[in-house]
Amino acid sequence: MKTAHEVRPGNVIMFEGSPWVVQKTETTRSGRNAAIVKLKLKNLLLNSGTETTFKGEDKLEDIILDRLDCTYSYFADPMYVFMDAEYNQYDVEAENLGDAAAYIVDGMEETCQVTFYEGKAISVEMPTTIVREVIYTEPSARGDTSGKVMKPATITGGGTISVADFVKVGDKIEIDTRTGEFKKRV
Amino acid sequence: MTTYHQDRHWDIFCTVVDNYGDIGVTWRLAKQLVNEYQIPINLWVDDLNSFSHILPSLDPKLNSQVFNGVTINHWTTPLPVAFVPGAVLIEAFACELPEAVKQQLTALHIQTPKSVPLWLNLEYLSAEDWVDGCHGLPSMQASGIKKYFFFPGFTPKTGGLICERELFAERDAWQRDSANKLQLFERLGLKDIQAQDTVYSVFSYETDSLPALCELWQASATSDDKIHALIPKGRSLNSLQHLLPCKVDELSPGQQIKLDNLTLHILPMTDQQGFDRLLWSCDFNIVRGEDSFLRAQWAAKPFIWHIYPQEDDYHLIKLEAFIKLYCDNLPPNIADTWSKLNVAFNQGEQSAVKNHWQNINPVSLPLLQHAKDWPIDAINAADLATRLVQFVKKSYDAALI
Repeated sequence: MKTAHEVRPGNVIMFEGSPWVVQKTETTRSGRNAAIVKLKLKNLLLNSGTETTFKGEDKLEDIILDRLDCTYSYFADPMYVFMDAEYNQYDVEAENLGDAAAYIVDGMEETCQVTFYEGKAISVEMPTTIVREVIYTEPSARGDTSGKVMKPATITGGGTISVADFVKVGDKIEIDTRTGEFKKRV
Repeated sequence: MTTYHQDRHWDIFCTVVDNYGDIGVTWRLAKQLVNEYQIPINLWVDDLNSFSHILPSLDPKLNSQVFNGVTINHWTTPLPVAFVPGAVLIEAFACELPEAVKQQLTALHIQTPKSVPLWLNLEYLSAEDWVDGCHGLPSMQASGIKKYFFFPGFTPKTGGLICERELFAERDAWQRDSANKLQLFERLGLKDIQAQDTVYSVFSYETDSLPALCELWQASATSDDKIHALIPKGRSLNSLQHLLPCKVDELSPGQQIKLDNLTLHILPMTDQQGFDRLLWSCDFNIVRGEDSFLRAQWAAKPFIWHIYPQEDDYHLIKLEAFIKLYCDNLPPNIADTWSKLNVAFNQGEQSAVKNHWQNINPVSLPLLQHAKDWPIDAINAADLATRLVQFVKKSYDAALI
């Protein structure tokens, strides 16, 4: 069992006898510090999607499926193609990548985990931490160096995340893929 | 679920976390559902002592009693009154339902799934954007029952805001005659307040901002323009101990502490109607949490919101989200000062609080006008109870298709 707070894109959870792959997670805070987790799910049997909300501490039944370490190879619309150590290729639908799609870039070397359900590649889990280059962000507005003032930045691959005000174009930054949060400049 | 019948009862479960906030919201909602929609309501509350502060006629020793048409049941373990599933089951502010109730729901779901009540989690109020995307979403429970998250909020995509149908008309009638406020102050035992005096109400958490404001009020009050600060016994006064003649616990309602032409009045506890009228009667209100925050908006008077503090200063994000909405139609200079005052108050920055308070005085008339206009904008065509009833009806209709 995992708490809703611990679930991340690529996990598969069981409800009413059906496996659901988690495509996107969004954690926010309600009053009195309680976490609220919104999940975008896809039913692996019916191929239908839904959105659902949980309290952060709600327990969810995650199921362990076959996984393989793979690297990203190329994009053949609408499929992302990954390759294992023995050069076997696996296609994953773009939709099933969820948040991870924002971190996929040509030539990336990070090892991802591809999850299989009944022999089919159904999702991809990124490493917890990745490094990406900032390709666009506004100059520092307030000269803040504390790291508490944030601003949007576009990273290689086209995704946008909030970064500390002191981050500049060309900086390489560490990102927590579970939350999409900026961790530090490297 | 079977067809929705309005005569089937609803259950609302509430745990008292911070004395008057959670119970304040649920008690108002319960009363409104009975009064305006004739829905039988069972309100289950775990702390009747705290509840009795805002409902003085409540007897904390009784397991079940009826006020304003609402059946109030004491929530203990085991439940002293049998839980009978109705049409709707609301867990207020993500409180955890009693295990026995959850087991009962699970058994019902297995035996006669159509008789399981619509299960809702009524969440806290927030002005943040994400609320639009989360309101009304189901939460799949291990039992197979779906629970729905119902989020209060300020946009049409949310569950709306608690506001009784006749509230604004009653407020306007009250505020038209200044004799009403003077009679109220007298009834509350607050002496020597004249019609021309400036009156502030203070219902905050502990903060360094309050001594700063009192210092400022003391310096600015004159014999021709006296200032009265009305403060209930509790957390606000903890921050003003240095001004008090005795410990907070030893103060009596109606007691006055004179600081030149500033008078601090110790407010007695009052019921919710009395609290509304108090907010309507003051020139400026300092409020906290959720219930009094909303009632201060409905009072059509300028206010400071002391938001419930959260880890990592997350409450400041919620405060900024509300400020952004509230200031949307305000002239930029007033919006700037009012928002800075609220942020500084919440951060306990004494010199900034004083500075912004002084700056806001000259613009109090436009701010007052905005405070009068805001409730109409905020209510957004439908209040929370109306949207809740619509949501329930739609859910029942959808289940039948």
